[in-house]
Amino acid sequence: MSKEMNFDVTVIGGGPAGLAAALEAHKAGGEVLLVERENRLGGILKQCIHDGFGLVRYKEKLTGPEYAQRFIEEFESAGIESMLSTFVTDISRNSNSNSGFTIKAVCSKGVETVNTGAIIFATGCRERTARQVFIHGTRPAGIFTAGTAQHLINIQGQMPVKKCVILGSGDIGLIMARRLTLEGAEVEGVYEIQSGPSGLARNVQQCLIDYDIPLHLSHTVTRVFGRDRVEAVEICRVDENKNPLPGTARRVECDGLILSVGLIPENELAESVGVTVNKATGCPTCGENQMTDVPGVFACGNALRVFDLVDYVSASGEAAGRSAMEYLKEVGLHG
Amino acid sequence: MDRREKEMICIVCPNGCRMTAQIDEQANIEVTGNKCVRGKEFAMREMTNPVRGLSTTVRTDSPELPVLPVRLSAEIPKARIFDVMKEINNIRVTGPVKQGTVLARNLLGTGADLVATADMPHQTEK
Amino acid sequence: MSDIKKICRKIEKLSPKISVSEERGCIVLRGQVDDWSIAVKAGQLAVNKKKYLGVINDIKVRGFEPSKESLLPEDSSLEGQSPDVLIIGGGITGCAAARQLSRYKLNILVCEKGADVASGASKANGGVVHVGINFSASSQKQHYNLIGNQMYEELSKKLDVPFERRGQVMLCCKKWERIVVWFLAHLGEKKGIHGTRYMKRKELLEHEPNIPEFIDGGMFMPIGGITSPYEMTIAMAENAAANGVSFSLETQVRGMEVEAAEDGKGHIVSVTTNRGKMYPKVVINAAGVHADEIADMAGDRTFTIHPRRGTDIITDKKVGYMVNTSMAKAPFAVAPYEKEKFKGKAFATVRLLINAFNGSNHTKGVGVIHSVHGNMLIGPNAVETPDREDTATYRDEVDAIIRMQQHLAPGLEFRDIIAYFTGVRAPTYEEDFVVRKGIFTDNILEAAGIQSPGVTAAPAIAVDLAEWTVEELRKKMPVEYRENFSDERKAPPRLRQMSEEERHRLIRENPDYGVIVCRCEEISRGEIIDALNSPLPVPTVDGIKRRLRPGMGRCQGGFCMPLVMDIIAQHEGVPLSEVRKAGSGSVISYGFTKGEPEGAAAAAEKAGGKVAEAEAGDAAVNARGAAAGAAGKEAADE
Repeated sequence: MSKEMNFDVTVIGGGPAGLAAALEAHKAGGEVLLVERENRLGGILKQCIHDGFGLVRYKEKLTGPEYAQRFIEEFESAGIESMLSTFVTDISRNSNSNSGFTIKAVCSKGVETVNTGAIIFATGCRERTARQVFIHGTRPAGIFTAGTAQHLINIQGQMPVKKCVILGSGDIGLIMARRLTLEGAEVEGVYEIQSGPSGLARNVQQCLIDYDIPLHLSHTVTRVFGRDRVEAVEICRVDENKNPLPGTARRVECDGLILSVGLIPENELAESVGVTVNKATGCPTCGENQMTDVPGVFACGNALRVFDLVDYVSASGEAAGRSAMEYLKEVGLHG
Repeated sequence: MDRREKEMICIVCPNGCRMTAQIDEQANIEVTGNKCVRGKEFAMREMTNPVRGLSTTVRTDSPELPVLPVRLSAEIPKARIFDVMKEINNIRVTGPVKQGTVLARNLLGTGADLVATADMPHQTEK
Repeated sequence: MSDIKKICRKIEKLSPKISVSEERGCIVLRGQVDDWSIAVKAGQLAVNKKKYLGVINDIKVRGFEPSKESLLPEDSSLEGQSPDVLIIGGGITGCAAARQLSRYKLNILVCEKGADVASGASKANGGVVHVGINFSASSQKQHYNLIGNQMYEELSKKLDVPFERRGQVMLCCKKWERIVVWFLAHLGEKKGIHGTRYMKRKELLEHEPNIPEFIDGGMFMPIGGITSPYEMTIAMAENAAANGVSFSLETQVRGMEVEAAEDGKGHIVSVTTNRGKMYPKVVINAAGVHADEIADMAGDRTFTIHPRRGTDIITDKKVGYMVNTSMAKAPFAVAPYEKEKFKGKAFATVRLLINAFNGSNHTKGVGVIHSVHGNMLIGPNAVETPDREDTATYRDEVDAIIRMQQHLAPGLEFRDIIAYFTGVRAPTYEEDFVVRKGIFTDNILEAAGIQSPGVTAAPAIAVDLAEWTVEELRKKMPVEYRENFSDERKAPPRLRQMSEEERHRLIRENPDYGVIVCRCEEISRGEIIDALNSPLPVPTVDGIKRRLRPGMGRCQGGFCMPLVMDIIAQHEGVPLSEVRKAGSGSVISYGFTKGEPEGAAAAAEKAGGKVAEAEAGDAAVNARGAAAGAAGKEAADE
């Protein structure tokens, strides 16, 4: 077994929230470790190649990778420890109270053990799936969450659809409508079960209106057709309780269905340490300092709650970083 | 010139103001609904020469990073976006590239350069 | 009145449009009706197991169009082959038979229409290793289920497939229901089902602490178990493949040439598929929902498959604690929420009781199961359909299943659902297995009507099929045991279940085991590569998903699918656009954005791309010429 490592603060997740949290805890004098699952820092921003990031923070329109790069550079020049391609498998609270946690993490070198005074979860969120919004019918190829489609196009350079329907008007869905159009796909329309768009108004303008993509409010996809690949979807108007209205079903021929139907904070790991997570929202129970109901465990970014803007994600990371250090000083684990 | 009125959502900042712009026969433009001066500027441009930024990817010859994210250094007329996309799609990049590197200048005479928005770490030998 | 006349009269009453005749010892129904339920009802009325071989129900339903089948490749890869044994169908029955037969030095071929083994009902079912307390004592179901159930421990160990004997519970609501349980347990004991007894609420709570208030207790059956049906099928197939059995996937049998043999029976000479015509010595029909079509081609049909859809629901592992065994409300128990349904209908209650004893409960009813992976599995329902391939799910059905189960698992909520799927079961009208030698054709063996408890019974059925096959072959050729046969198979190591030390050691040996690809189920790159190197690799996203579970967790592949695609493409040496979800037609991506086909980069280069000087730093920009662009376009259009 590799030798054990000891840190004041361990940040789990190297996206915008985690980077900000690690930097802030470092600035407050902590010995900090950042653990990232992927082989690069930056989290989901790597695939968010569109601009509009950083307007609040930097008064500039940056793309996702550019915004991430500013933090990554600061992080690297601060000399903060990080473990990439490393996956946390287990966290346990050390027996006597306020004595921190033991983290087990898997990487290509083996199973590593990290002792830490405080933990900051910056684990982001995941997308709601077709099954979770109760789309029925067949399960052919051609159904993607917006984030998966974004990964295929922007990271792998692959074209996932030719003519598609987008369900949900979340920001990623809107952004993907434009992105797919630019790359030559046809977006038949964006369908939203609510009576208003769920993404930012500016994204409705610059991603849909600019490209003449219709937005159908109070509509949803109820069924998928096609055995091997999507051949069509069934679309229904919904009533005020979001139930499909009988007699309004319409079949739209397409080869793809992209879903942007909501994000769920990823807190399964936090739950395993005993953090109480709201069943409906997936958000952890946190005090004002972003400490969860398990002392020494903090949450930030989209794992805390789903934010509109990355600028706020970074701010919440910084707050968590500061709080974690304050906590450690209070309980006498630091200094 | 004709009298025209147009409703729009401002894309300058996340506030997304809903604005109305009116242009009269003398080409005077009146904007309502904007919360700031940048919104007004945006609306005026929308009435005369709407422009947009563009972010996309370019092909690389790296199997690990088959596409590299890029953006234009300046906004271009909205109507030219698809022509410029076509031009960008013809470009192929060989690494390494640093973020901020200009990959092509003055695309189709728009005055906008193509800029890498991420690093392409290393050249891959095939 | 003669038996056929009785049947005629019953069916005449149901619909005058149906003709009834007796042919070759079978009751044959023909005609056209407007409603599928009438066709099914007619089939059920025509059953007389004592007097006839079976019901051949060829009643058509007006306006019915079967759903489209998967796109299949057309080639000649099997043309002219003459396997000793051709097994039609790579479900659990076909794969169990293949494994059993691989002990012998034979040339064995399994043809499966799907893009993987376990593509039909074997994939889409709950995986319960049944007790079989409610099967009629004279049925094949009872016979094979009991033998199969007892084989599972050893089989699972040898094949490295998860199996847990957690028991099965039939929940009771009223005190008087204990008497029924006592009778059933007693009958079970006589059939060889041991240990069944009534467990009062207090004791039952130790096994199932989350049962609702109105449960008085339950019939606890300790021999009930749970496996992963597709993993068991895959394991059997891999073990067979390692012992020399060939598998041809995406292969559909389309016809047979049958000659009259000396004994007056038919004899299959050749079998035509989408991959060519071949000349097997013996054919095993394990074709699931298509088994009657295959039997018909072979001239040996005495039964009809009437497809029955069943939808199952999977919850997040977080609520897996709600059930520990597999439990369902006893079919004879009347819960408080059902009182309305039975009010004043004494007969309906009696009917339930009778059914509990005579084995005519066609499904054990919707239940909840603790899966071997820790999720809760809910279902299945049972819906008759004329469409053999209708694996779609329907909103009203899924909603109904969840609502019904909320009675038994009160804590269950809609948001706990992560997936649901439909399988099509393959019952005959006799509602029993048809496991037999050919009656009218000498070189076919039937393994038809294999619905629940097919997963439990398959290993036992396979023993008979193998024995009969060898018996038939030995009439023409010597059949010897295979040297160096091994009945064991290893699954890729499951690192997430290992001790820290063991995991560490394995990662040290192979660093890929330390690269986690699927975050929900904690699957590493190394495990995926192992699966791609197995004796029966299926390098598709679904193939990997079934073998290792990436994509089965709460994100349902949102994060890992593109990564799994990368690993498959790399391992197989194909462009990403060649990686399929399952079959040939299930294209995931169409190749590179930018309208350029993958792998054509070199071609584009040749077509005269000009290399521009680097604008800054040492970046080189290659602005390809129009010619190259055009060449790329054409190739992409192909």
